[in-house]
Amino acid sequence: MIEAIGLTKRYGDKTVVDAMTFTVQPGRVTGFLGPNGAGKSTTMRMVVGLDRPTAGSVTVNGKPYAQHRAPLGEVGVLLEAKAVHPGRSAREHLLAQASTHGIGRRRVEEVIELTGLGPAARKRAGKFSLGMGQRLGVAVALLGDPHTLILDEPVNGLDPEGVLWVRTLLRGLAAEGRTVFLSSHLMSEMALTADHLVVIGRGRVVADAPVADVIALAGTPAVRVRTPDARRLAALLTREPGVELASTAPDVLEVTGITTAQVAQVAATAGVPLHELTLTQVSLEDAYLQLTGDSVEYRSTAADATTRPVAGAHR
Amino acid sequence: MTAALPATSLPAASTRPRTVVQPVTFGRLVVAEWVKLRSLRSTWWTLASTLGLFVLLAANRTAGMASIADHMPDDFLVMPVYATSGVVIAQFVLCGLAVAVITGEYRSGQIRATLTAAPTRLPALWAKLAVVVGVVLVTGTIGTLLGWATSAFWFDALGQSIDLTDPEHARLMLGVPLYLAAMAALAFGIGAAIRSTAAGITAMFGLVFIIEPAFSYIPIEPLQKLAAYLPTAAGSRLVTSDTVGSFISGTQSTTLGPWAGFGVLLAWVAVTLVVAAVLLRRRDA
Repeated sequence: MIEAIGLTKRYGDKTVVDAMTFTVQPGRVTGFLGPNGAGKSTTMRMVVGLDRPTAGSVTVNGKPYAQHRAPLGEVGVLLEAKAVHPGRSAREHLLAQASTHGIGRRRVEEVIELTGLGPAARKRAGKFSLGMGQRLGVAVALLGDPHTLILDEPVNGLDPEGVLWVRTLLRGLAAEGRTVFLSSHLMSEMALTADHLVVIGRGRVVADAPVADVIALAGTPAVRVRTPDARRLAALLTREPGVELASTAPDVLEVTGITTAQVAQVAATAGVPLHELTLTQVSLEDAYLQLTGDSVEYRSTAADATTRPVAGAHR
Repeated sequence: MTAALPATSLPAASTRPRTVVQPVTFGRLVVAEWVKLRSLRSTWWTLASTLGLFVLLAANRTAGMASIADHMPDDFLVMPVYATSGVVIAQFVLCGLAVAVITGEYRSGQIRATLTAAPTRLPALWAKLAVVVGVVLVTGTIGTLLGWATSAFWFDALGQSIDLTDPEHARLMLGVPLYLAAMAALAFGIGAAIRSTAAGITAMFGLVFIIEPAFSYIPIEPLQKLAAYLPTAAGSRLVTSDTVGSFISGTQSTTLGPWAGFGVLLAWVAVTLVVAAVLLRRRDA
C-alpha cells in the first residue's frame, strides 16, 4: 500500500507536484495517468526517496521507503528504461542489486528466466534495445519478490508480445494481493490493465476512482444514427422524453438518453430507412482528455493561436 | 490457533518458496560494490595499465641511473625512489578510476538503482569508497613489488639494493600504496561532490597540475609556506626521499615531515568526503 499525504515538490517557484493526496491499495492494479510534465515521474521518485518532497509525506507499507531495513523486499521499482551502467551485463547488474539484500544467485537466474532475458543476460546493457532494457528493469523490480511494485511506463518500447506479457504479469501480481502502481501514457493499455486510476494534471489529482467511474465522468454513451432522412427522424426522436440530439453531418445524428432498440423502433414505425445504428462508447481517452484538458503543459500551437499576447503586453 | 491447522489448508501460492530477502548491511553493500567494480572491463584495463606503468617507469629510471651512476653521489642512489617511480603517473590513472567509479553512476542512471537498494544513501557511499580504497591499496602494493622486481635487474650494476629494515626504504615502499589510496579517496570525494566525470577529472587534475604548482611558483613567502599544506604536496612527503626529492610535486619543501604531510592529505580527504556526504544526503538523485 502506498499513501501520499499532501505530497508537494517545488523546483524554485515552479510547483511540479502540488499537495497530492492519494492511496494505492493492494490487490489491484492502479494506473497513474497524466500528460507529460504532470508530475508522474517526480511523484514516483519521491515514493522511493530519490527526490525529497518540499512538503507532505509518502509511505510504503506503513513506513517511509528509506526506513525499511530491506527495501527491495518491500518495493520493486522500475523508474527509467536504463538505470544500469552501459558496460555491465544484465546478470552482473542483477547480481549487484541482489547482493545488497543477501538475495541468492538462484533468484537472479529466476528473474532472468521470468523476464525472458536469458539469451541477453551476458550482453552488456549498453547494447540493449529499449525493450530489453525494460525487461531488465522489470527483472530488477521483481528481484526482492516485493509486496509493492512501482513501474514508470513499463510497456514503453516493448513489442506487442512484451506488452501482453507485462499486462498478464501485473494482473497476476495484483491477484496475489500485491500493490501494483504503474504509469502509462497509453490509454488503451491502461484501460486493459488497470482496475483503478489516479489521474493527475499540473501536479494535482483530478480523479481517483475505478476505471469505469472515470469513463463515466466523461458522459453517457450516445447512439449514432445514419439516415438519408435525418430531418424527419430528428423530429420524431425529440418527441421521446429525455432525448437530446446533435448532428455531426447532414445525414448523421448523435442521440443520447435512448437505446439503440428504441431508435430502431421509432424509425421502423415511421418507415425511415437506417444506414447505420451504433452505440458509441465513451473511451478512456475521451474521459482523460476531458479531465486533463485544462491542465496540459505543452499544448499544440493550433490551440494556442487564439491566445497570442496583445501588443500592450510589450514593455 | 494457527499451529493446529493442517498444512494442506494453506493456499497454493504459499507453497512456492518465498525469496529470502535480508536487511541491507554495510558488508552486503561492500559485496555489491565489488560486484559492480569487477564487472566493468574498464576497471581491469585501468588496473593492468597501472601495473604496466610501474614496471616501465621502474625499468626506465633504474636503467637511467645505472648509466650515470659513476657521476652520482651515493646519497642519490635511493633505490626505492626509482623502483616506485611509476607512482607519478599511476596516481593519475587511479584517480581517474576513482572519479569515474562514482560519476559513472550519475552519467548512466545506475545511481538510482544504487540508492533504491540503499535509501539511507551514506552506507552506499562508504561501501563504494571502501572498495575503491581496497582495490587501490592492493594495486599499489602489487605495483610497488613489480617495480622492485624490475629495478632489481640493475641493482648489481649500481651496487645498491632495497632494504626494508632501513626506515627510509620501508617508508618509501610502504608509502606508495598508502599515498595512492589517499589520493584515490580524495578523487572519489571530489567525484561524488561534483557528479560529472569530465568536471570531476578536470577538478582533480587541475588541483594537482595547476592550482598546487601555481601556489608554489608565486614568489611570495606566505603562499609558498601554504603550498606545503596543499593535498598533493603534503601527501607526497610520505613517498619523498629527503635527499632525492620528489617526482610528484615540484616543491622541495620539508616544512612537513613524511607522516605529518600524509596526515594533512588525510585531513583534506576527510573534508572532501564530508562535503560529498552532506551533498549526497541533501540532493535529489
